[in-house]
Amino acid sequence: MHRCHLLRGGALACAVLLVMLTPGSGSSQDRKVVRVLAERFTFTPSEIKVKRGTVIEFRLTSDDTNHGFRIVGSDQNAIIPKRGRGEATLTFRADTPGRYTFECSKMCGAGHNFMRGTITVEE
Amino acid sequence: MRTVVIGIVFVLLLTGQPSAQAMGAGPADTQAAPARTAADARVEELERRVRELEARLLALEGAPKAPAAARPPEPAAVDTVAPAQAAAATVAEPSSQTGPISGYMDLHLNKPQGEDGTLDFHRFVLLFNHSFTDRIRFVGELELEHGFVEGLEESGELELEQAYLDIQAKPWFNIRAGMLLAPVGIINERHEPPAFNGVERPFVDTFIIPTTWFDAGAGVHGRLGSGWQYRAYVMAPLDATKITAEEGLAEARQKGFLSNVRDVALTGRVEHTGFPGLNLGASFWRGKTGFNLPRVDSSVGLYEFDGRYHTGPFAIRGEFAHVFVEGADEINDFQQRTAGVNPNIARQMRGFYVEPSIRHTLPRLRADVGAFVRYENFDTQFKMPAGVLPLKQFDRAAWVFGGSYFPDPDVVFKVDYTIIRNRSTLFRSVDGFNIGLGWWF
Repeated sequence: MHRCHLLRGGALACAVLLVMLTPGSGSSQDRKVVRVLAERFTFTPSEIKVKRGTVIEFRLTSDDTNHGFRIVGSDQNAIIPKRGRGEATLTFRADTPGRYTFECSKMCGAGHNFMRGTITVEE
Repeated sequence: MRTVVIGIVFVLLLTGQPSAQAMGAGPADTQAAPARTAADARVEELERRVRELEARLLALEGAPKAPAAARPPEPAAVDTVAPAQAAAATVAEPSSQTGPISGYMDLHLNKPQGEDGTLDFHRFVLLFNHSFTDRIRFVGELELEHGFVEGLEESGELELEQAYLDIQAKPWFNIRAGMLLAPVGIINERHEPPAFNGVERPFVDTFIIPTTWFDAGAGVHGRLGSGWQYRAYVMAPLDATKITAEEGLAEARQKGFLSNVRDVALTGRVEHTGFPGLNLGASFWRGKTGFNLPRVDSSVGLYEFDGRYHTGPFAIRGEFAHVFVEGADEINDFQQRTAGVNPNIARQMRGFYVEPSIRHTLPRLRADVGAFVRYENFDTQFKMPAGVLPLKQFDRAAWVFGGSYFPDPDVVFKVDYTIIRNRSTLFRSVDGFNIGLGWWF
């Protein structure tokens, strides 16, 4: 009987803890909006530094043609609309410290392969 | 187990209660206000995610048939390999449809003053690219000039302007080898018709910097941080026997056609893009050029500075380039003795231009209009070998006035008028009116 009470109490405590943590895990991450302008053959800014745990929301616009925005090693890719045709957004959760490369993933001209940048995730 | 589930449901109901209370409490219920704010934030987040998914679906419907997103992740060329991060992409508006081939085209009507006009399909360029892996890539650029090729250049040219492998190791160190563009000046690596003003490329980027300047070679490039990037290549040198008094280095490129590499040339560029809208660059070229001239020790050196800035509808760009031909007197002597004609090559050539411009968007037409004026000064006989006087007709200045209409950011209709003057009293330069239609895809 005593063991049964103990189990119920433990379960309840776990459940409370679970519920307390669930909304907490989403809201504790800093959200940072980074506006990136793409143009032949640069991203501005091309170097972005964030703290670990930051959720970066990239707002991507172009000053000329279509460009791509791909974080190397990630399977996600955004096509940036042409100048004056709106913006693309891409969300990146900076959970692991390190340096990540992003690049233009859509051929945009003779210097396409130079169009790269880095995201540095610090502890 | 059942108890655990009941416990969880119970607690979930309890935690859900404040929201329900807030809904019924009305705006005056200050105690419930924080709970309502949290719930609102959650709803807002969910709405945002729904919007993202909607837009992503829209993007997928309008996306190319084989988007890169469909490829499995591969090792990243970074210090730390990116794990499968929760990244979501959305596009506000479907983009242009482009297959594995991209390119640009340039159709010109040139009407020099007092002469017949010519209609010239100046450039038909196709770009190919292929990724073997995330680290090894191929880019090719094949250009047909003047629409027709029949042996000699007078009937057009078929040029392999780029065909290289890029091996990407680190952000600051990558290797490139193959047919390369010399990293000199604004236009040489940035020559898509919508990317520059005017029907024809600037004179400085034709006679002083011989764009499109390409040849076989290999080198390294990368980003150094704080907005700095560099490229440094070893390339096939220029041919001194093809340097001319009027067109400078334009014909001296070997273009990867059995390029002589008894000596190689070194070239490099540093660029800074750290401030929004501002791009500053400096480049150089240096290499021996006398492989076709026995016992003549000649070389060409070039340094160049350029800058571009844009803010709102306004933009300005400028470039300065200076060429040094060492052994110019020996080249002239040799040509005089063997061909019977002295090419009158200068020991220094110099050119610069400044080009302010404006570009305005017409929202109703979803089109842009632009206007520019460019002042150029270029002299292919800036300094002559000792004892030789420069010919004044090669000291030239040009004013180019023009406008552009962009029905799409990748399509441009251009008009310009060129007033060109030289310092000679005998030879008069010819003004010209040009119309161009260019597009990138």
